[in-house]
Amino acid sequence: MKIINHTVISGSKGRSLSLAVLLIVCLLPFWTGEYYMQVFTIAFYYVILASSWNLLAGYAGQFSLAHHAFAAIGGYTSALLVANFGFPIWLGILAAPLSSALMGFILGMLCLRMRAIYLAIATWAFAESVRITISMTYEITRGDLGLAVPKLFMGKGQGVPYYYLFLGLAAATALMTIFIMRSKMGYYLRAIRNDEMVARVMGINTTRWKILAFILSSGTAGIAGAFYGHYNGLLTPVMVDFNEMAFIVIMVVIGGIRSIAGPVIGAILIQILTETFREFGEIRMVVFALAVIAIARLYNEGAMGVVRQVLQWITRRKQAREY
Amino acid sequence: MEKKNNELLRTENIIKDFGSLRAVDNLSLRLEEGEIRGLIGPNGSGKTTLVNLITGVYRPTSGGVYFSGRRIDRLPLDNITHEGIMRTFQVARMFADMSVLDNMLIPAFTQGTSKREARHRAQELLDFCLLGKLSNEPARNLSGGQTMLLQIVRGFMRQPLKLYLLDEPFAGVHPAIKDIIIETIQKMNREEGVTFLIVSHELTTIHRLCSQISVLHGGKVISEGTMKEVANDPRVIDSYLGG
Repeated sequence: MKIINHTVISGSKGRSLSLAVLLIVCLLPFWTGEYYMQVFTIAFYYVILASSWNLLAGYAGQFSLAHHAFAAIGGYTSALLVANFGFPIWLGILAAPLSSALMGFILGMLCLRMRAIYLAIATWAFAESVRITISMTYEITRGDLGLAVPKLFMGKGQGVPYYYLFLGLAAATALMTIFIMRSKMGYYLRAIRNDEMVARVMGINTTRWKILAFILSSGTAGIAGAFYGHYNGLLTPVMVDFNEMAFIVIMVVIGGIRSIAGPVIGAILIQILTETFREFGEIRMVVFALAVIAIARLYNEGAMGVVRQVLQWITRRKQAREY
Repeated sequence: MEKKNNELLRTENIIKDFGSLRAVDNLSLRLEEGEIRGLIGPNGSGKTTLVNLITGVYRPTSGGVYFSGRRIDRLPLDNITHEGIMRTFQVARMFADMSVLDNMLIPAFTQGTSKREARHRAQELLDFCLLGKLSNEPARNLSGGQTMLLQIVRGFMRQPLKLYLLDEPFAGVHPAIKDIIIETIQKMNREEGVTFLIVSHELTTIHRLCSQISVLHGGKVISEGTMKEVANDPRVIDSYLGG
């Protein structure tokens, strides 16, 4: 099973490491207090966003800068349906991925022939439009004051169910990515990223698969956004600030783009660092940005690459000792 | 349009303009099932443009492309592939980040072949052209000749492959790899009935492989026939010598 890196780390080593990490995070609520559980819950929210963005930008090569907007669309859809129209929460959450996937479909269609910088600009413009619309439609969304959202779990000790809920969603997203990347769709997405013209010559309907990647990735972001709203209890246009998108990109790049575990490691690492160095304020973003530049310039495999190299080094040493 | 005898491909008076430049000029070409046709001509004569027109990369300004009696020049590129037409590029284009084997699997997957079947055929083909041991290597690690070979053999993953257009398959390739390419083309033509249109400047190799040759100049077919016939055609000599 190639859980750690789709191309390099495979077999029992990757599986054992993944299971060990999963076991640790499952037992974490027994060791930590409410504060760190919250930190990890938010980290898992970012794992969902980072993993689903990695599917679109990393594997399919569609560098969208609207991923945070899809989370907001999902979040606001569920929140508005529940808060303003009296829908049950589960129905709101169900509607969230549908609305964000529909918007993903529309945006995907509009940006179909765009590449690189043009795609990035178009998707960024879309995200900004979403942010401004949320801010402006005060009567519906309560604008910058924020929309109060009914919580999923109420009362004391609510951190534990949220922790496991987001952990489950994050694990499901990672599993979905593994499944997709092993399926024919995974081959097609990698082919499209490598050379779209040749992919078409090979018989791939690139339009269909690019749109599907947009739908899946935006739908997943929509689910994350919906659960986030019902966890946080308040939604504001801050959710669509460019900083949010920058965070997702930083997490994926630092963790390791185009790997399954990269966005997971990146999201958890960056979220912990963000919380640990909270007193340093915005300077954290500068440090992260510098780290992204360094990784892009010197070592584009990110933290995942380091993990892989360490594992390979251990294997080599073990083999050398056996000889 | 009716399909004539065992005709596989027909281009009818196709014209392709790029602004004021006419790259293909009223070109009509006919290919029969099972033949290996050579397409030669000086640089800029429209050979690659013709390949691009047949495979749907470009749409003709006017005229039509017919495959098995059916007009295909308005079809999307991937649909043309599904008709059973494959092509290679002058500068070999691979999915560089993917392994040699994964490169091979893609055309088989797009026609619905199962993973197991596709892997089996891919390994067979790779073994035949001596790339079998490299199947797990990333394609970017291959040499220029190996990349060209992989690009060619990848096309054979489509089954049935009716027409294969090879654009300069021997350019810059080591003689040993060139022999493997020639052997592969002959084997696929003989055993699977694949029709080939081979664009090349290597006249010796074209002579070895092709019974019929078409010569292009200024976007037009100026001569057709055996190598001996076209070599003695004064229009061909003029076009090559610039007379």
